Amino acid sequence: MKTEMDFEELMDEAYGLPNGPAKLGMLEEAARVADVNGMEEEAYEARSEIVETATFCGYPMKALIAFSWQLGKFDQQPEEYDEETLMWSYKWILGKLSSFPEVSRDKIMELLEDFGQRFKSFGYSERSYWYYRFRISMDLGELEEAGSSYAKFRTMDRDFMSDCEACEQDEMMRYFILTGDDEKVLEMAKPILKGRMSCAEIPHLTLSEILMPLYRLGRTAEADKHQQKGYRLIKGQNDFVRSFAEQMDYLARTNPAKGIDVLEESLVFAMNNEDPFAKMLFYARTAPLLRRWADESPEYRLRLPASFPYEGDPGDLHKLADYFAGYAQAAADKYDQRNGNRHVSSLLG
Amino acid sequence: MTASNEYRFQVNLSGMIQILSNHLYSSPKVFLRELMQNATDAITARTEAEPGYQGEVRVELTGTGEQLTMMVEDNGIGLTEADIHEFLAMIGQSSKRGQQALLDGETSFIGRFGIGLLSCFMVSHEIVMLTQSAKGGPSMEWRGKPDGTYTIRQLDTQLSPGTKVYLRCTPDAAHYFEADYVKEALFYYGALLPYAVTLHHDGVQHVVNSETPIWLMDPALARSRRAEVLAFGERLLGEKFQDFIPLTTASGRTGGIAFVLPHAVNLNAKRSHRVYLKRMLISEKAENILPEWAFFVKCLIWTDELQPTASREHFYENEKLEEVRSELGDALRKGLVDMAESQTERLQKLIRLHALSMKALAVQDQAFFAMIHRWLPFESTRGHRELGELIDEGETLYFTSSVDEYRQIHHVASAQSMLVINGGYIYDSELMATLPMTVHNVRTERLEPDQVSMSFTDVPPAERNQYYDALRLADSALQRFRCRAEVKGFKPSDLPVLFTLSQESSTLRALEKASEESTELFSSILGSLSSGISSAGYSTLYLNVNNPIIQRVLTAPDDQMTPIAIEMLYVNALMMGHYAMNRQELEVLNQGIVRFIDWGLRANTDRKGDA
Repeated sequence: MKTEMDFEELMDEAYGLPNGPAKLGMLEEAARVADVNGMEEEAYEARSEIVETATFCGYPMKALIAFSWQLGKFDQQPEEYDEETLMWSYKWILGKLSSFPEVSRDKIMELLEDFGQRFKSFGYSERSYWYYRFRISMDLGELEEAGSSYAKFRTMDRDFMSDCEACEQDEMMRYFILTGDDEKVLEMAKPILKGRMSCAEIPHLTLSEILMPLYRLGRTAEADKHQQKGYRLIKGQNDFVRSFAEQMDYLARTNPAKGIDVLEESLVFAMNNEDPFAKMLFYARTAPLLRRWADESPEYRLRLPASFPYEGDPGDLHKLADYFAGYAQAAADKYDQRNGNRHVSSLLG
Repeated sequence: MTASNEYRFQVNLSGMIQILSNHLYSSPKVFLRELMQNATDAITARTEAEPGYQGEVRVELTGTGEQLTMMVEDNGIGLTEADIHEFLAMIGQSSKRGQQALLDGETSFIGRFGIGLLSCFMVSHEIVMLTQSAKGGPSMEWRGKPDGTYTIRQLDTQLSPGTKVYLRCTPDAAHYFEADYVKEALFYYGALLPYAVTLHHDGVQHVVNSETPIWLMDPALARSRRAEVLAFGERLLGEKFQDFIPLTTASGRTGGIAFVLPHAVNLNAKRSHRVYLKRMLISEKAENILPEWAFFVKCLIWTDELQPTASREHFYENEKLEEVRSELGDALRKGLVDMAESQTERLQKLIRLHALSMKALAVQDQAFFAMIHRWLPFESTRGHRELGELIDEGETLYFTSSVDEYRQIHHVASAQSMLVINGGYIYDSELMATLPMTVHNVRTERLEPDQVSMSFTDVPPAERNQYYDALRLADSALQRFRCRAEVKGFKPSDLPVLFTLSQESSTLRALEKASEESTELFSSILGSLSSGISSAGYSTLYLNVNNPIIQRVLTAPDDQMTPIAIEMLYVNALMMGHYAMNRQELEVLNQGIVRFIDWGLRANTDRKGDA
């Protein structure tokens, strides 16, 4: 039996697949074949694809590893490779870096400066730097700093290296979620909900993010509609673990049976997700949902994925809830320690 | 301050027509569809006023060269003088409903008429329309040019109700006016129309669409008319099909036939379904009318409940479309389920050709998975087999989650006759993970490369004790590679060592490799990440006690020789496993080779010295 495919075959097979672990596996195999055979350009090409695929299907660490390799190669021979593609990938890497609690705040800031300096050297607008500074400050729970970067990047010119308007709008909306201004959140969401701004991930993300603000404002009829539409858009895709968490947060309060469906359908994605922040949020929202469901349907046995590392009885929902809550809290503590504040654990409350 | 004056800015009409006609539509050939659509709308409007009225569309080709002319005639409701003015207003400037009609893709007769006619300027420099309204009034003639000028006059004679449109072919559009082409195009657009469409050319009349198939009203009837449906599908879709599944929605307002593609399809292949709106072709490449997983069929769909886009080539992605899509998906799924219950051979044949599509559905739909799981093919250490056969072996089904892991495992696993499934292909590992929840009494387990040792034979403690010194030396030699040695017995015996690594150690290897190549800053970040990975990040070098060389290494420990032998065995195992080596490992390889050559030569010299 033939188990060794050559580089071209692997890349062809990968290009024929939708984003997901199977595609990523093919690409990694292609990169390995290229490495073993000393095919540097091919190895770079495969890694470009790995960075993109991994970024959009829940494997930020794989993306970071492949990108680091690429950047090293690029710095050695900048004339060999295309800087725009690489610098565009840099934004994805930067956007995910704060999800890893092992990376210190100083290192994150150092990377942000490296990013800004590189963008400047290629003559791109400084807006991207300030926009990412805004996002990172939000992630680190430094809302005051986020606010001033927000004010700054909005006055600067967009260029072809800027994130799309829909994505930016969504991030700005997220800022008001963090500051607790629900009315403002909905105002920011308006162009997205009206369909005037959209992209590959918007309104997918937005439709789940606005559920709790709507709930707090008592507008559950609207929220229900967005919940249904939003879930249809993200169902079965491992890139939306945070959104599943937001869906469960809302459904635990309004329709726990539906929430359990979401949980069972997406737990496998959360479990295998390499983004510890998304996984933490998912586990954190799972716990209250399970407790709520235990009250309504005490006999229920939760369907866990085959390789889920839980030894206990999946029929004891309270114990299971403790497991999820414990996992989330432990993860949150790591972030708090890194960030030097209580921002992340306050999100779990 | 001067008073502000109001001006109207000028729009160059011929430019606008150019832009609209060339950018709104995908190709000039759609002019014929637009004319057919106008004719159909006119007939529909008349049938509403006069139930039972029999419509007809007549197309005539006359003349040659510069005189080549096409006439499209319908016996529909016709236009009054006021109607003509209204549709002209639509083309010229935004009338009260014109602009909005364009955006909404409004389907009312008058609202659409002008836009449709506009498309004719892509193939003709003059459009002449003669029309007589069924509501009475004089017969009218309208002549339009692409620069936006037109004339309109009353005719002296009274025509019978209906509309005739004459197009004089431009030189570069001649092929759209060839009789064979027009005949095919008329069938293509109007195959499902409930009234006769005829083409007249050189004194010969061709009936374009024969009788409307009975199963059009009730797709379920298609089941008893297999040959007829397959022939119809072949004529319309240009492919020889062998199987199909009829589709209907609950409302009955959308129906269709899903023809099973006679060849395997790539997952990313364009789904191109043929969709008819109110019996007129609207799209030949509708991708969004069936669920994603339904890429094993090419469908013929007719509907009267969806809203087309302005170009009338696609549908708006709205809730209605979502509803229709999910109902059509359900109908298709039901067709498969029925097959699973009563015609398993037919389903097996289908699965053999379209396993990927079936797996895509099975991943989303456990009940469906349960029903068809036995026939789904998988790659395993027992060859390419159907899942049912593998289940019947009665063993735990081990599966890997990537092609890479399978590659690492499969050789050794085969030698141990362990049943392992390659889960690296799309959907396979997800399906294996959910299989026990779906089917009773089947156990599956995700296998990581470092677990393949489960099937190795242990070395008895007494024997292991003999190797204590050798193992200690081995461990300390391997430590700098985050690897440890273990003695086991395994097949094949000519394999001296086997290197395996857990997911964590695999990640660590990747981190190290990237660190070596990257910038200082990124290397230090990768360093922080590796500190977060647990001590499970040790890989294992299994020494095969059944192998003669390993026997010698183990039984004659030597402070100098053993570490070097173990290091060489380690890099040898990496090479055999096709792992990319880092700098340190490459150095070991290079030094080791030089050292062995040195020893070999020295031993040789020593022997000569002895002689």
